[in-house]
Amino acid sequence: MLKITDLHASINGTEILKGLSLEINAGEVHAIMGPNGAGKSTLASVLAGKEDYEVTSGTITFEDQDLLDLSIEERAREGLFLAFQYPVEIPGVSNVNFLKTAINEIREHKGLSALSAKDFLSLVKEKSALVALDASLASRAVNEGFSGGEKKRNEIFQMAMLEPKLAVLDETDSGLDIDALRIVAGGVNALKSKENATLVITHYQRLLDYIIPDFVHVLYDGKIVKTGGKELALALEEKGYDWIKSAE
Amino acid sequence: MSGTLIDFCKQLEPTQLKLPTALLQAARDGVEFQHHFPTTRDEAWKYTRLGRVAALKLSPVKINQPANPLPSSETIDIIFENETWHCAEPITGLHIDFSGALDTTAWNACTLQGHVQHINALTAQGGVAIRVDANTKIIKPIRIIHRIQGEHTGLILHHQFVLGNHASAQLEVFFEGTSQDTYANVLFDFFIGVGADLHTDMLQQTNGTHYGFHTQRIYQQKDSTFALQTLTANTHFTRNDVEVFSQEEGTHTQLYGAFIGRENNHIDNHTYVHHTAPNCTSDENYKGVLSDKATGVFNGKVKVYQDAQKINAYQSNKNILLSDSATINAKPELEIYADDVKCSHGSTTGQLDQQALFFLRARGISESKATDMLIKGFMAEIVGTVKSSHIQEALHSLLG
Ligand SMILES: Nc1ncnc2c1ncn2[C@@H]1O[C@H](COP(=O)(O)OP(=O)(O)OP(=O)(O)O)[C@@H](O)[C@H]1O
Ligand SMILES: [Mg+2]
Repeated sequence: MLKITDLHASINGTEILKGLSLEINAGEVHAIMGPNGAGKSTLASVLAGKEDYEVTSGTITFEDQDLLDLSIEERAREGLFLAFQYPVEIPGVSNVNFLKTAINEIREHKGLSALSAKDFLSLVKEKSALVALDASLASRAVNEGFSGGEKKRNEIFQMAMLEPKLAVLDETDSGLDIDALRIVAGGVNALKSKENATLVITHYQRLLDYIIPDFVHVLYDGKIVKTGGKELALALEEKGYDWIKSAE
Repeated sequence: MSGTLIDFCKQLEPTQLKLPTALLQAARDGVEFQHHFPTTRDEAWKYTRLGRVAALKLSPVKINQPANPLPSSETIDIIFENETWHCAEPITGLHIDFSGALDTTAWNACTLQGHVQHINALTAQGGVAIRVDANTKIIKPIRIIHRIQGEHTGLILHHQFVLGNHASAQLEVFFEGTSQDTYANVLFDFFIGVGADLHTDMLQQTNGTHYGFHTQRIYQQKDSTFALQTLTANTHFTRNDVEVFSQEEGTHTQLYGAFIGRENNHIDNHTYVHHTAPNCTSDENYKGVLSDKATGVFNGKVKVYQDAQKINAYQSNKNILLSDSATINAKPELEIYADDVKCSHGSTTGQLDQQALFFLRARGISESKATDMLIKGFMAEIVGTVKSSHIQEALHSLLG
């Protein structure tokens, strides 16, 4: 589904990703862990197409297309979803209104007709229940005045609404209480299928008790330096990152 | 500089209004004394050039005949177009008059200032005088439409709206037209009686090279409420002067504005709130979005006079520039001579929120739609205060 090969990316002339390679297949759950500043969010932003970053070399293919050739919105319409580490507040733009536009633009891209108002509303009902997002939050301005945890739930709500092929969740677990963590993880698991894949970026092994990864990668200084199974997360939790650095 | 003020007035008809002689004389003295249109050296016209206006060749609209009464609809309509005016049938407690006779008791409050008001006094072709009886609630909105048609048309009107004590009404005002080289100088005097309440929404949406001068003067008596929403959409040249005289205790004033400019549009909003009485509030919020080479001006002045204690005056101006060639000149001014007041003002100008734009696009929304959404969201707090459904609709199709 996604294949990243020797990716180098920089911002304002500073190289952040320094030869990163990663492959994700349909049906898989991957986790990326790594110290602060390693480049995890940078990877997520480059995948989503943020224009501040310059890809200096390497390739990314997504569903047999050159991802780097696509605009931000085309990537989303092709099924890429990024749950932001720091969701933005957009006063005056209602959550459901923007989602309706997003869904219909994605449907149009797929050659489907627009959702009726009725079908859209029942979808909102179903998916907000899935992540236990208060119905009033769904209709408020995007993230405006939301608590930290509510913003994260809102990201997963959007993911549930848009049903992406590949979801990249950037520290969606941070700032969530235990109950919310379970709910969010439950939402992610409920949406899991053989056709889609998930990439979770996290600092905490705890999340991976709920979202069981097939692979755990360590991103360090702009590269994937180690890949293992679920047990790698446990080892990291216990020993930190130093042993990997020294093993390098 | 081309034509003098006197030459400019000569192309138009002498006033059809029955103005007090002293006022008329003051206007004559004014244009004679000032002689030329003001230049950018004049503080009030610092960012707005009048050379093109001075050079306009105009022929006046002669407003002489009322057409057949308009059918009743969900608004009480007054329409100025093609040398005629139309008016809906009057209803109880509401008086609509086109004779040019203004309520002179109310006139005691007024003086004339600046060339726009002088030209208006000397060449007004008419106007509507609306009066609502005391203790009367006019439920249906009153709608005034100005259609400025025909090249080189000059439309000069002086309207008066007198709201009796404890009366209330809702007003919608439209300016539309598509002709080239047109001029409008339309002045409203609002007299808001004790405990009365007037809500006014104004949409300025003229296409073509139209030069629009809009003056609103508001005189508020004790415990009255006045709200004005001024919405300016892609007009070639617009100057709005809103001046509020809060004359007695307990008044509340709301001045909101949204302006959108593109191409070479020039939109200038000047407001001046005089707090001469204590225990009053004023709330001002103007928002602008400019693209291409459009220019905007916001000059908001609040003056709190010496004995006007316990004033709460809030003023905000926020602008978004969508292009490097768009400019805004914003200047909030506070003058406070009382000591127990709460005043705040602020002005910010920036670009569209790039994080928000990225977020929306990352959800699959095209750049242009995402931009429209953010602009609409930016304007939402202004648009949300508009009561007129006609203007809501117009803004909806304008903002997407
Ligand atoms: N505009 C910028 N200019 C220069 N360096 C930047 C810029 N933006 C980010 N960086 C740097 O890029 C590096 C990687 O940042 P990134 O946000 O990808 O880290 P991260 O792995 O997500 O960290 P965290 O765990 O704290 O979220 C950091 O050192 C950061 O300071
Ligand atoms: Mg990060």
